[in-house]
Amino acid sequence: MSQEQFWVLFSKKLSGEASAEEQAFLESMIQSHPEWQYAIQNLTDLWKSQPAEDTSAGEDALMLHLHRMNELNISLDGNYQETLTSAGSVKKFKRWYWAAAVLLVMAGLFSIRSLSGSSNPGDEVAGQLNEISTRPGSKSKVQLPDGSVVWLNAGSKLTYNKDFGIETREVMLTGEGFFDVTKNKGKPFIINTSSIKIKVLGTAFNVKAYPEDKQTETSLIRGSIEVTIRNRPNDKIILTPSEKLVVENDIAHLEKDSKKQEIRTGNIARTELPVINTLMSINKLKYNPVDSTVAEIQWVNNKLVFRDESFSELAVKMERWYNVEIDITDLRIGEERLNGIFESETIVQALEALKEFIPFQYEKNGSKIIIHR
Amino acid sequence: MPENDPIKRLLAAIAFANDQAAYKELFMLLHGRLKQFAYSILKSQEEAEELVSDLFIRVWEKRDQLTSIESPLFYFYTTAKNLAFNRLKQQKRQQNPSPEEWLVQLNSIYFDPEQLMMTEEMMRQIRQAINNLPPRCRIIFKLVKEDGLKYKEVAELLQLSVKTIEAQMAIALRRLGKCMHLEIKELNISTPATKKS
Repeated sequence: MSQEQFWVLFSKKLSGEASAEEQAFLESMIQSHPEWQYAIQNLTDLWKSQPAEDTSAGEDALMLHLHRMNELNISLDGNYQETLTSAGSVKKFKRWYWAAAVLLVMAGLFSIRSLSGSSNPGDEVAGQLNEISTRPGSKSKVQLPDGSVVWLNAGSKLTYNKDFGIETREVMLTGEGFFDVTKNKGKPFIINTSSIKIKVLGTAFNVKAYPEDKQTETSLIRGSIEVTIRNRPNDKIILTPSEKLVVENDIAHLEKDSKKQEIRTGNIARTELPVINTLMSINKLKYNPVDSTVAEIQWVNNKLVFRDESFSELAVKMERWYNVEIDITDLRIGEERLNGIFESETIVQALEALKEFIPFQYEKNGSKIIIHR
Repeated sequence: MPENDPIKRLLAAIAFANDQAAYKELFMLLHGRLKQFAYSILKSQEEAEELVSDLFIRVWEKRDQLTSIESPLFYFYTTAKNLAFNRLKQQKRQQNPSPEEWLVQLNSIYFDPEQLMMTEEMMRQIRQAINNLPPRCRIIFKLVKEDGLKYKEVAELLQLSVKTIEAQMAIALRRLGKCMHLEIKELNISTPATKKS
């Protein structure tokens, strides 16, 4: 028997396609090769291992489906009314599809456990501010009075006026947030960070503006947004979907003539860029070609995703994610480029995984981690 | 992995009692996989979602006829394929793309590491091996392992021979076995009668 025949038989057995005779034969063969046991057992376990299913996506889709049937006058009570005219309903469906995408986010891919946001409704008269903040290591979802939803990443703060939504929709962000903004043409939604101001009508995007980071990043998922940089309020940058604007923070605060003009562009060239006295670039979002997810917003799904990032960049993210302090003592190690995803890993598991790729040692003392060669 | 028997029971409840709960349960059971299957052909999440909705409208409207189907799973996948091909035709996009051209997402890379007695490195290699399966092998592996179709059904759905399905499944498993250092050398054992050819 050739090795190919072995694999044909074995895969038939796993798939429930093997006859009793074939199964018995395979069994006797495996028994006479104890060195195969481990692999055979693992392959069988792997075959049986089913990934957990995301039921919330199904629930949302079901809701949309039933709504659509209702719109097509197809009653679930058993009376046939009208047959499907599939082309006519495409437009409506598109709208509902997006509503579903938003609902999916709201439906709680997150457990309540991670919600540590505290809402302080009364900062008394003067400011009349609402403030929502997250500690390092935790995340939170907030629904604003206008229905817009904001996911706050670890160690972030969102503030807005008590009269939010009455005349304007304006918020202040420190840290990172994913925004899904409801449409309201009359009242643009404005996000202020220390270095930029973003104006939107209705769209979804991610803003990363941690004060300790060198850069502020704005990643657009859909719709369009208008960004102005603090020291140049007259220049407006329009982002289109799948683009990411990166602004160097310290530069954004400098006076307008103190820095030589310089524009960097990422892997797409943009000639229509306004000339701005700051270091900035527009890049394409980092898509994962396998499942077409966007790296920039995976934190919303409880995933810490890094694509072609240096170890020191990753370390900053890990500090927030795990609420730890990471000190990389060796420059060369810090410059190693990495790709990957952390999901359910603990900090120790994450470090061990990284060790497979970069030769380093670490010492962990409480929440302090020192990394050296 | 879905099986035909529970699906048959649900279809019967829908047909004979207009059971809405059964209809919803069936939708929940199959929505994710059918959407992925439709996506592989249509390459658009939005259209795949709509196709599944179309398909389930059809299920409701034809519920009286669906109780006599031998393999409902096979029915769902063939109908999904036909609906997808019709759409491509209507949109004047590529006609009847062959399985090699489908964009297949494999959920098998998301196995639960807790259940497996393997090193991290091995699991990484397995994910990589799954991700790197050649196009035709991917769709076959998915339909058999993740969607629970029989070899014969996969062969008919993809218009290939059953021998091809056997061979492609063997390739997939051999590659996974390799990650676990299982390499079968030529063996001096006689083949059972059924395998002689």
